[in-house]
This record gives sequence, structure tokens and C-alpha cells, in this order.
Amino acid sequence: MKIGIRTWILIIAILISILAIRPSFNSGVLVKSVDMNSSIGNEGLKAGEIIKSVNGVEVKDKEAYAQAISSIDFNGTEKKIIIVTEKGEYISLTAEAPKITVDDVPKTKIQTGLDLRGGARALVQPEGQINEAQLNDLIAVSRNRFNVFGLSDVNIRGVSDLSGNKFMLVEVAGASPDDLENLISQQGKFEAKVGNQTVFEGGKRDISDVCRNDASCAGVQSCFPSSTGYGCNFAFTVYLTEEAANKHAGITGNLSLDDTGQYLSDKLYLYVDDKEVDSLLISANLKGRATTQISIQGSGSGTTQQEALDNAKVSMNKLQTILITGSLPYKLNIVKLDTISPNLGSDFIRAIIYAGIAAIVLVSIIVFVRYRKFKSSLALLFTSFSELIIILGVAAFIRWNLDLPSIAGILATIGTGVDQQIVILDEAKSLKVSSAKEKMKRALFIIMSAYFTSLVSLLPLYWAGAGLFKGFAITTIIGITSGMLISRPAFAEMIRKGEE
Amino acid sequence: MEEAEKKIEEKKDEHKVETKELKIKKSYSQLYDEYYRITFVIPILLLLISLGYLAVFYHNNGDIIRKDVSLTGGTTVTVFDSKVGLSDLTEKIKVDFPDAHVQGISDFRTGGQKGFFVETKESADGVKKFLENYLGYKLTQDNSSIEFSGSALSQGFYKQLQTAVLIAFVFMAIVVFIIFRTFIPSFAVVLSAFADIIMTLATANIIGMEVSIAGIVAFLMLIGYSVDTDILLTSRLLKAREGTTNERIFGAFKTGITMTLTAIAAVGVSLYMVHGLSDTLSQIFIIILIGLGYDILNTWMTNASILKWYVERKEGK
Repeated sequence: MKIGIRTWILIIAILISILAIRPSFNSGVLVKSVDMNSSIGNEGLKAGEIIKSVNGVEVKDKEAYAQAISSIDFNGTEKKIIIVTEKGEYISLTAEAPKITVDDVPKTKIQTGLDLRGGARALVQPEGQINEAQLNDLIAVSRNRFNVFGLSDVNIRGVSDLSGNKFMLVEVAGASPDDLENLISQQGKFEAKVGNQTVFEGGKRDISDVCRNDASCAGVQSCFPSSTGYGCNFAFTVYLTEEAANKHAGITGNLSLDDTGQYLSDKLYLYVDDKEVDSLLISANLKGRATTQISIQGSGSGTTQQEALDNAKVSMNKLQTILITGSLPYKLNIVKLDTISPNLGSDFIRAIIYAGIAAIVLVSIIVFVRYRKFKSSLALLFTSFSELIIILGVAAFIRWNLDLPSIAGILATIGTGVDQQIVILDEAKSLKVSSAKEKMKRALFIIMSAYFTSLVSLLPLYWAGAGLFKGFAITTIIGITSGMLISRPAFAEMIRKGEE
Repeated sequence: MEEAEKKIEEKKDEHKVETKELKIKKSYSQLYDEYYRITFVIPILLLLISLGYLAVFYHNNGDIIRKDVSLTGGTTVTVFDSKVGLSDLTEKIKVDFPDAHVQGISDFRTGGQKGFFVETKESADGVKKFLENYLGYKLTQDNSSIEFSGSALSQGFYKQLQTAVLIAFVFMAIVVFIIFRTFIPSFAVVLSAFADIIMTLATANIIGMEVSIAGIVAFLMLIGYSVDTDILLTSRLLKAREGTTNERIFGAFKTGITMTLTAIAAVGVSLYMVHGLSDTLSQIFIIILIGLGYDILNTWMTNASILKWYVERKEGK
């Protein structure tokens, strides 16, 4: 059988798709995120690089990486860590494990959605109506806040739905912090007040710098047993702008000393979102002084000392974050929050692959039984699999995350694909006068009509529900379009050549 | 040489089969001519009954479907715990959350319990606390998934999806009218798709299905599947010039029924593979299965009868 031009086009499309999916044979671990404030972050290591070795030990997967890191004995002293990636060598001197997250190098370029890969997704709605520009402001501030907090594998974007509601969609890949809800929705309006006068607020206007990751001016200071378990105190230094410092001088200048004479008569109260979180005594020697350095304190508690310590660290980080980034411009409501475990994803994928293969094979058997033509059944099997590869290829190329709705779309497409191939087979088989070419023309007319009706019925889904069900529409549209343009003409040609 | 002879022999055989087939077709054809009005009435009656049922259902429930938490708002907690006794959990959770629904998740190869999920209209915090107390351990991302949707958002989604289905249907109808450019055949295609959806909706309600977002998406898919066979039938009948009306209908029927049956087989086997694992995909497959079943009825009884009547009237028979 000679291979016609349409079949060649299909074969080329398959090859390009395989290239787009590009099974990877790279060994090593992929850097998912890097804490930009850490020593390795300062060296320039970036997310997306592939680590080949740590201190000369080759790392093939994330277990090997974890082992290589844990074999370094820090015991409180700085150690030299040499990380080699495919882009270069990064040498850092540090007393703790590099602050990066890693994962195995993905075997293909196909990306799976949160519902298969695991992660967290929040749909956040600002209170009151906002416009596009305001939504973008909100996203910028939120993104900054996540970065400062140290979560870098976060995807934030604005979405709107058919009714014109605007949302901010936050997606965190992999493990997400327990208090994600707070981190996202907390407006984070920080105020330090004496009486009802504001001394300074969070954000650039009043705060010139906040000490973090520097043990000399920030850290957990002491832990102690309490009635509910343990508590830990933290403190860090905040540097005020001159303007805020002068305000401080003006306000404290009017205060008198307390009974002991060591402190001023009123305290500095710290509020986050109008809720008092702490109050600090002000030393007598600060009265009326334009001080630019203020020590902020707080505490964390837990049932064990470790838990209290961890909570104190998280609280400190959160407070530092909102002091640096300032308040979000709007009050936010979380209208949808999903935290998906990565555990079921692989089971899903396995079941879906089995289902897909079983369905295609079953259909081929039915077609073989019905038409008794081995070549045609084989052509059908080949075309169905090639459609699958093309859809996956396009999805990988446009970096579409395949979630469950997308997969349902792929299954649906292959189903309609088979249906249309049956139309072609039957048109070819019809015994009557018309030439093979004419028969194929008629078959393609039916297919074209079916294509346009399917296409228009999918379009509304693209916008409905804040775009969360877009996946189904996208994979189906990719599938039926590539089907109509590439694989159906090729199948028709294969059958025609077979008949001639 | 031998091969050529063989081919001739085969051709002869084929011819024999053909004449036999023709005879059978002829008697079928006569039967069909007599009874096609009845085959038209049956699905129409079924459609009217379904519409009536949906009207009563709407009157009683305030909506045409039973909605699950993805459309009403609420929480789904999935826990990977193969040891929990589901009946005991159901009994205990109903005390605090009367609307809660507990269902197991199983592996399709072993059939063993992999975990379970709980659905309730309440917010996530309460359910999470209850489950943590019941199970005796903390729910983390390693052992569970928690999905929460606010009720305003979910209801908004529901409205939009309704709009999407409606717009999709209208778009589909417009395209069908553009393709065939004649009123009655186009109307028959649209009617058949409409009947598929209505009958499937009624059946979903009768079997007590709680429709999710994915379920509504499945109804969208149904529009596409449903129209495929109708377009095939209409094109064969109106565009082709060979054979009698009945022969063309039978020819289209053979193709169409192969299409629908292979689709049913493919969807059926997929449903079997995922039914214990994913509620989302299961529901999509169940709705399509029901819809494909009704599509046989609506395409080959309703639509075919209308077209036969239309073509014969046009040909002045």
C-alpha cells in the first residue's frame, strides 16, 4: 500500500507531537523552588535547573538528593556545599541544608493538574466590585507576599466568570502550608499604635527594612512550659523610615513615665487586621527620640516544645511578611479552597490509562468483527492512538495542565473520533455507484458538520465557572480540530487506498 | 491467475449474500412502511412523560436535578484509610451532619477499600474536626484531600453552567440549520438532541443521581454525541441519491448503530475501570451511557420517521 500525502501529514504530526511530549532521559533532580534569601539563592541557583551532584556525590532521584544532603554533618558550623547543575556549579557556605525544594525530573513534558498531582487551590473574591487594574494590583501584592513568605511554587492569576465576577486564583503545587487559608485571605493590615495614634504601619512608607534570616537581629529567643504545653518567644528588629521615626518621637514625647520609671506610661500596641496581637512596653530612654530601630516581639505555642518552636517561627515569618509587603488593598473572602493530596493521583492515572487502552482495543475488536477487515481495523486502531498522541502533544506544547475534566475531554474526543471513522468505513463500503473519492467527500461532509456542532457547543464552557472547567473544552477542541484537519482525512485516505 | 479466480468467486459469494439481504430488507421495508408512524409515537410519548416527570420533580424539589455539593456549595473530604468501617462512620457522622454522605473508594484491580469520602453542605472546618476526632489522627495533605466551595460561588457556577448548556444547545441548533437549510430535517435533529437530554435528565433523577459539575459537563458532551448520528442519518437521506428512502435509512442505521454501540462499549468499559475510584469520571460515563441508549431511540425512531415522512411527501409519494 502506498502512503498518500494525508497519511504523511498525520505521521509528521505524530512525530512533532512526540517531540513536544519529549520523553526525558535526564537523570538528576529538578529544582522546584529556591528561597531567594538563602545562601544558595544568593549564589544564583534558580528553579528549573537540574541538579546532577551534591558535593561530588551523583544524585539520580530525590531520595538520593535527600540522602546526599542528610549525610552532611552541620553540627552548628558552616559547611561548604557544592551543587552542580546542568547549567553550572554553585558553591555556598552554610550552616543549614540548602533552602530549596526538589522533585524527580519529570519523564515527559505533559503536565498534570492539581487534582492529579496534588496541591492547593484557592479562589479568592475581593469584597465589593473591583476593576481589572485593581485586580492586577491585588495579584501583584499577593504574589510579592508569597515570595517574601518563601513559597515560590505558587501560581496566581486573575480570572473572571460569565457573570463578570472577578476572582484571584491561587494555586500552590505540591505540599502547601497548613495555614494557607490565613496567608491568602488575611488582608495583613499591620498597625503599631500608642493610644489611638498610629506610629507606623506595614509596607514601604513606614518600614525601610525588616531583619530576617539573621540570627543577630531576628529569631526565637526562649521556650518555656505553659499551662497548655509549651510557648516560645520570638523577636526581630524593624527599621523605620525617618518619617515614621519622627512620628514615634512626637507621640512618645507626650507620654509620662510609669511607676517604676523604667518604661513609659502607655504601651505600643500591635494590630493585625484591627485585632491586637501584642503590646510592647516602651523603654523610658526612647521617650521623644526619633528611633529608627524597633524590636517586635511575639510568641507561638504548642503541645510539644518542637511544635511551639515551629509555630513561633511561622508566626514570625508571617509578621515579617506583612510588615514588608504591607496591607492588601482589599478585604478578601476565600470562596473555594481545595487541598488535594498527591496520593490518589497515580491511581487515577493508572486507571485512566487502562480504561483508555481497554476502550480502544475493544472498539477495534468490534470494528473487526463488524467489517471483517484486518487492515481497516488496524488503521482505526492506529488513528485512534495517533489522535491521543496529538492531543497530548498539543497539551504539552501549550503547557496545559491535564486535570480530570481535561482527561474526560480526551476520552470523549477519542469516542467521537471512532464514531467518525466508522462513518468513513461505511461510506467506503457502500456498494453503489459513486467513486471512492466522492464517497470520501460525503463522509467528510458529515464529519465537518458534526465538527462544527460539537465545536460551538463547547465554546460556552470556556468561560463558565471562572474557567475551572476550561480543561474539558480545551482538550476536546484540540482533539476534534486535529481530528478534522489531520487524522480523519488521513484515515479516509488509508481506507480509499485500501479499497482501490 | 489463481488469485484472480479466487476474487471472482468471492465476488459471486458477495452477490449471493446481497440478494438474500435484499429480500430480507424488502420484508422489513414493508413492515417499516406500515409501522413507522407508531415508531414515531413511542419516543414522543416517552418524551412527554419525561417532561411531565421533570415538571413534577421541579414542583417538589425546586429544581430539575438533585445537585451534589459541587453545585450547592459544601465540603468533600477524601481520606485514604483502608481500615475504617464505613457503616459505623455513616451512623456517627449523621448525628452531627445529618446531610452527610459517606462513600468508599476502591481499587478496580483488587476491589479492596482504599479510603472513603464524605460530602456535606457544611463548611470544611467542622467536618475536618469531626473526622479527626473519629479517626484519632490529624488530617494532613498526606492522608487526605479537602475540597470546599462556598454556596454563593457554587450556585453561581450552577447558573453559569445552565447558561452554558443553553447557549451550547442554541449554537448547535443554529449550526444544524445552517448545514441543512431546510426546516423540518433540521428541526428533527434538534428535537432528537433535546429528547436525549430530557430523557437522560429524567432517568438520572429516577435513579437518584446527585448531579455534579462534571455531570453537567457530561450533558454538554451528550449534545455532541447525540447530533453525530442524526447528522449522519439526515445527510444520507437528503444528500445521497442512491436507493430508496428505506434503503438509505437502513444503510444509515447500520452505520449509526455501529457508532453508538462501539461508543457504549468504550464508555461502558471505561466506567467499569474507574467506578470505584473517581466519582467525577463515573458520573460523566453513566450520563453518557444513558444518553447514548436514548439516542438509539430518538435517532432511529423519532428522527428517522420524521425524515421518512418528509422525504416521501417531497417526492410526492
